[in-house]
Amino acid sequence: MKARALHVAAAALMAAALAFPLWGFAMAAPQYPDETLHLQVTRTGIAGDVLEVSTLQHFIGVRFPTDLPELKWATRAIVAFAALLLVGAFVGAGTAGRVYRVLCAVALVVFLIASAGVVQARLYQVGHDRDPGSPLRGMHDFTPPLVGPARVGNFTVWSFPHAGAVLLLAAAVLTVAGSRKAAV
Amino acid sequence: MKHHPFLLVVATVVATLTAVHTMGCGASRSARSLAAEQVYVAPGELDKYYAFLSGGQSGSVFVVGIPSGRLIREIPVFEPRAAYGYAMNDNDPRRQELVATGGVWADTHHPVLSETDGMPNGKYLWINDLANGRLARIRLDYFETDRIVKIPNLQGAHGIAVVSPNTKYIVVNGEFEQPTDGLLTNPAPYTSVVAFVDPDSMEVKFEVRVNGNIDIADTSKDGRYSFSTVYNLEQGKDMGSMIQYDRDAVAAIDIPAAEKAVAAGRGEMRHGVPILDPESNPGVLTLIPVPKNPHGINVTPDGRYAIAAGKLSPTVTIIDAHTLKIVAEPEVGLGPLHTTFDNRGNAFTSLFLDSQVVKWNIDKAVAGAPDYIVDRINVHYNIGHLQAVGGDHTHPAGDYLIALNKLSKDMYVPVGPDLPENQEIIDISGEKMRLLASFPTPPEPHDATFMAVAVLKPLVHQTYTPAADAVVAGQERVVRTAPHAVTVDMTLIRSAYTPDSFQVREGDQVTLKVTNIETIRDMIHGFALPDHNLNIALAPGYTKTMTFEASKPGVYWYYCTNFCSALHLEMRGRMMVQPKDSTVTLADWHAAANVQGQVVPGVPSTGAKP
Repeated sequence: MKARALHVAAAALMAAALAFPLWGFAMAAPQYPDETLHLQVTRTGIAGDVLEVSTLQHFIGVRFPTDLPELKWATRAIVAFAALLLVGAFVGAGTAGRVYRVLCAVALVVFLIASAGVVQARLYQVGHDRDPGSPLRGMHDFTPPLVGPARVGNFTVWSFPHAGAVLLLAAAVLTVAGSRKAAV
Repeated sequence: MKHHPFLLVVATVVATLTAVHTMGCGASRSARSLAAEQVYVAPGELDKYYAFLSGGQSGSVFVVGIPSGRLIREIPVFEPRAAYGYAMNDNDPRRQELVATGGVWADTHHPVLSETDGMPNGKYLWINDLANGRLARIRLDYFETDRIVKIPNLQGAHGIAVVSPNTKYIVVNGEFEQPTDGLLTNPAPYTSVVAFVDPDSMEVKFEVRVNGNIDIADTSKDGRYSFSTVYNLEQGKDMGSMIQYDRDAVAAIDIPAAEKAVAAGRGEMRHGVPILDPESNPGVLTLIPVPKNPHGINVTPDGRYAIAAGKLSPTVTIIDAHTLKIVAEPEVGLGPLHTTFDNRGNAFTSLFLDSQVVKWNIDKAVAGAPDYIVDRINVHYNIGHLQAVGGDHTHPAGDYLIALNKLSKDMYVPVGPDLPENQEIIDISGEKMRLLASFPTPPEPHDATFMAVAVLKPLVHQTYTPAADAVVAGQERVVRTAPHAVTVDMTLIRSAYTPDSFQVREGDQVTLKVTNIETIRDMIHGFALPDHNLNIALAPGYTKTMTFEASKPGVYWYYCTNFCSALHLEMRGRMMVQPKDSTVTLADWHAAANVQGQVVPGVPSTGAKP
């Protein structure tokens, strides 16, 4: 496949990513048999078992993040990248075009790594910036990893990239691949 | 070392006895293990069947898992139950129905399931109140009572049955005969009726007059006939005169013929219900003579026969369910009361006096073959009803049967003179019956019916969808609606009441609407208000409205009675009733009453709050 096709595909994947949740959390505990709680981070906020999770978080002083400005910025960036990649598909096979595509690829990879960093920072904040007046004692601060399980009280919390993040990653792979092609 | 010969003999005898005893234990232990394994449902695994047992004088329905025999739920029907928030407040529609139809107690006997094509469809279960002539309906999607109606023109609503195969009516037998005009002005003999109730509207569509005491009911599988055993055709008013005749009857009512007569206006209207007199409507009622004072009537799963149990006669009467002719009357044992069926052509009849279940082959009995008795098994004691899984429907399972015994005697640890009821689970899958286990219940299951868990479980809801009038989070309020009336709209969720306090004046009529806004199953919260006769439970999503008078000034803590969370004990709030003659304004009083304990910074959690 040539650079143009790869970039068109990447732009399409990025646009599609916005239609899906970006990150997901699954929370399992003994007293929730067959009813693991799920949260999805979408471009507009947090969806899923919000009522139940916020009811539970009250016990351990976790402040349920209701205001996530980074989602607004991420959405804008994703739209912008989709546009930039689409442009990249048509800037030609000349040096300028190739440089443009390499810069796009670098920028996209940096954006994704930075986003992962922001998410991890948010997860750290959730586990540390807790209400000291919360009812339950003996709860230690915690940091859920970006991907994988964390033990929080009687819950095992799994963090994982949702469909949107997978699409973004796929778009990045196609973009990087496209930036290495000479032919348009 | 020398042994005394006598000691040697003693030692030998002891050793031999020990060996024999051990061998005996070994044999019985393996039989016990086998039985135990059949009824053992490991923690986390589910039973195969729901058994619905009438609660008798408990006025309820018991739900028991089979084969484990575990009591899983009591469905309150005719008695209020604080623990389920059922019919506890004057504002509760079920309580209003109960009070209007005869009171807050009952004697429930026969649970029957709604059917499609002769098999339970999981929509409804009906249960009678013999004492007060009522019929109640339970929704099986929520396992809750949704209608209670009084059956007009009868006393003693005893046998009930669903008209197969598609639940056209619920048949209700009137057992206690009444003067024909219901009063003492008519010197004519007492009489009673069989009522036909619409399953959806719960209205009685028509009744058929029958002289005598109408006892147990069943219906033919094709919807043509209802069958009722009738005793005391003598119309005696004391026991001696009730057992004079040699034969009483099974009353077969031709349902299409009755419908036609009703449509032609041949019913005599009484309390809004047309009553058909069989004398002036020939063809509606056929009396089939059976030995005196019969009891149970059960139609075979294939619909060929209706089998009446002799009770005082050691026989069952096998009636052709299409021609209404008696085809056989075999002896089965002493005190036959009820019959149920497997899927291999066998009938099982309870023998009250013999304290046995007798298994007999229907075809052999009809053919007059001498070897129709297959097996007998002892039960403990004085069995009444018995029911095999699906025996009352068109496809019996042929695996388990439960015996509902009237007496338990020595079966359980003594608990005072009021002994528990004893049910026994019997394996009927083989040629020989095997007693597997017993389980006790509160008083007093009469009859049972079953549904496969595989069929019913997918239809059962475990949370409520909030009603249109549910209180929504954020819209809680306390409003004075009249000079002496206050409305409180409240929500409950772990672990708080919102509002967590409200004020009223002494003498106010309080209308309290409470919604449990939990969405997770089993997160039930209670609302108990001391000294106001108010305690209800609310399952997730449920809304209840209660009314009461705040008659005594003071502070009353409402609190959660259903252990819900780590902050369950803290889940409470205050109703503050201001004295009538108080000069303090409500605002002042509110401010004063809301002074909170001060939290001292830096004091560790073990330190007491001031």
